[in-house]
Amino acid sequence: MQKSKFLPRGRKDRTMVLVDIRETKSAKAADIFLQVKPGKDFELLTILRAMIKDQPVNQAMVAETGVSLQALQDLVNRMKSCKFGCMFFGMGLSMTRGKHMNSAALLTLAAEMNAYTKFVAMPMRGHGNVTGADVVMRSQTGYPFGITFNRGYPRYNPGEFSTVDVLVRGDTDAAFIIGADPGATMPQPAINHLACIPTIVLDPHVTHTSKLARVHITTAPAGIAAPGTAYRMDEIPMPLKPALKSPYPTDEEVVRRIREAIEKKPFWMPDDSEQMTLAQV
Amino acid sequence: MLRITGGKVYDPANGINGKIRDLFIQDGRFVPAGAGGRTIDATGMIIFPGGVDVHTHVAGGAINFARAMMPEDHRRAQAFIRSKSRRSGLGGMAPTTFATGYLYAGLGFTTVNEAAVPVLSARHTHEELSDIPIVDKCSLVLMANNEIMLDLLEAGEYERAKNVMAWYLWAAKSYGVKAVNPGGVAAWKWGKDAKQLSDSIEGYSKLTPGNIVTALARMCDELKLPHPLHLHCNNLGAPGNISTTLDTLQHLEGHRAHIAHSQYHAYGGDDWDTMQSSTTELADYFNTHRNLTTDAGAILFGDTVTITADGPWQHLLYKLTGRKWGNLDIENETGCGIVPYTYRPSNLVNAVQWAAGLELLLLIEDPWQVFLSTDHPNGGCFWRYPEIIELLMCADHRKECLKQLPDNIKGRVKLPEIDREYTLYDVATAMSAGPARALGLKTKGNLGAGCDADVVIYEEDDSVIRMFSHPRYVIKAGEVVIEDGDIRETPEGREFLIKPGYDPSTEEFIQPLFEDCYTMSFDNYPVELERIKRPDIQQCGAAE
Repeated sequence: MQKSKFLPRGRKDRTMVLVDIRETKSAKAADIFLQVKPGKDFELLTILRAMIKDQPVNQAMVAETGVSLQALQDLVNRMKSCKFGCMFFGMGLSMTRGKHMNSAALLTLAAEMNAYTKFVAMPMRGHGNVTGADVVMRSQTGYPFGITFNRGYPRYNPGEFSTVDVLVRGDTDAAFIIGADPGATMPQPAINHLACIPTIVLDPHVTHTSKLARVHITTAPAGIAAPGTAYRMDEIPMPLKPALKSPYPTDEEVVRRIREAIEKKPFWMPDDSEQMTLAQV
Repeated sequence: MLRITGGKVYDPANGINGKIRDLFIQDGRFVPAGAGGRTIDATGMIIFPGGVDVHTHVAGGAINFARAMMPEDHRRAQAFIRSKSRRSGLGGMAPTTFATGYLYAGLGFTTVNEAAVPVLSARHTHEELSDIPIVDKCSLVLMANNEIMLDLLEAGEYERAKNVMAWYLWAAKSYGVKAVNPGGVAAWKWGKDAKQLSDSIEGYSKLTPGNIVTALARMCDELKLPHPLHLHCNNLGAPGNISTTLDTLQHLEGHRAHIAHSQYHAYGGDDWDTMQSSTTELADYFNTHRNLTTDAGAILFGDTVTITADGPWQHLLYKLTGRKWGNLDIENETGCGIVPYTYRPSNLVNAVQWAAGLELLLLIEDPWQVFLSTDHPNGGCFWRYPEIIELLMCADHRKECLKQLPDNIKGRVKLPEIDREYTLYDVATAMSAGPARALGLKTKGNLGAGCDADVVIYEEDDSVIRMFSHPRYVIKAGEVVIEDGDIRETPEGREFLIKPGYDPSTEEFIQPLFEDCYTMSFDNYPVELERIKRPDIQQCGAAE
């Protein structure tokens, strides 16, 4: 691990605490492993928030989390005395009982820790360039995902406009999928709907989704045979420099050519939309 | 060829104050005369050079984080519906990229300066800038808390530091240097701050904010950057910070500098209860020191979101308001904090801030020294600029607005005693000619032959706010982009970059430091020139 001016011994100068419901391979890399009972993340985080402010906590409630009071007190002491604390969290919090409430509790804990020392929290995003997609959607539409343009401007409502919800409801009559394999991960009703509509997939590989698609356009794999940009989880963009040549076009080229072809067709929106004025400013 | 005839021209760069003049445009620039092509009859209309925003936050990781934090604001924001010529987007506190271009152009602004870019994420900032249509852009790179830079200054290696700064400027494909809370943001990595110019900085033994301010200003001058050091002073927002600000200005003696959003740095008093405006002292300093320019950073009452590299201040604001807080530490380069905020006329502190911003615009005598800004979105959104223009042009309107402030504002602000009203000539200077000159953009804010044909044409109107909110025509590089309230064309703007000379050995010096300091490899770090869509590169300062 990186050595630096203030952490000259690298990994030895850092303490890593892992919290999980089972002892995963990451536990071996950690200095301390705390095993929380499934579905008790919110309780554990809330108890930590209380303990950090020296508030009394209920022994029985602590016991329910599966982590001992002693271990928690040790953790609190370490957190308060560290120079710079960072919490990473992922789908174990955001996709289990409590969902966004768990993430909110963790983020609040990180914010409140700044009364004692420097503390930050950062979500661990999915593989590939999930962060990049999120960043671009935000800059162009204001929202990270779960966006609909069906009124001509971006609107956001996860749970309603997220891909899975739109598919399960059968609210879409075509699908265009780039760099994702929903056919492998989404619930069966969503997959069934993808199979009945014209689904177009851009992917370097044959995937579950490409098999059920009407059209699969093979593209050059980004970062290997196609240039571009990928965002790290901390939203720092990295240039992708291809090592190989591919006979296939890049995703970007395919999308550009489709757009150029569509632009030759008559504009589909009524002219009234041109009347949208700046008068509302 | 495009001709604009019969309009009343306000062109402060050429001393033209409301004279009827015809303008001729060929190939995106003004020409002395010509014939043929379209003619716009501007009889009875008012003609300004296109607006130039010297200090705004419209692109980059910070504003994009703010967008993510504020979905509830997007829901009530102005929606831009997709049309043949226009992409969809949202206005509001942190407008989306496409909408930002439409909104700025809709106000007659044709050049904007993104005032805070970390080098590490500059690649992303340029992605967003290239998405902003119509307007020309430039950006400033954050330097005052960069670990390599501070280490060099601590070691007294001034010349090398200067070369490193030049290297960073080109690596970021930037236009100038921004300093935010020098030393204070570096200290924020430790949860600390550096408020006074003589304070020590956590992690350093000799270095002080004062040393950093002076060194950076000198470097910008010696590198002959078109825009001088752009400085966000230490101790922002705190009651009594006028002493820090004046101390900072004294550290800039003998150098050029632009002081960002000075409203936030002009407070007297000892605490929130005794806070008052100290704009007279600050304005007096500007009035006697022509080496300095500033933008007001005026506030307007209402909701907004605050975004600054000043991490420790944003933590304080989070504690004061109890609202959402986003914190971004940019490795060894800078920090950033985001907190939504509502300025209320009933709040004494906000009332003082509101008055202070206007006071600076009115008390600094030379309109070439103080420019229109809200430090968008910190003091209010840029699309509310016409509200400020109205307050500057109409003393009676100001008096009306003062009535809604708390009674105990009396004696804390100077605004009630100020009768000055901006003329159209003053407005054209503060929103266009002045900021263009301060930025060193010679072809902007100027209607003279050879300059960029960026023009805004207003229908003369008794209502100042209506006139400035709805230009009749906006012309960008000779192209009519706004006409009768509609967006007609959405051309891509240019990006201004500077390429300062530096000692060729600088790279050999920096490269090994990357192994220790950065999580990105040296080769991946500089933004590739090919990523800038329409670069306009200016060389400056010869290599040693």
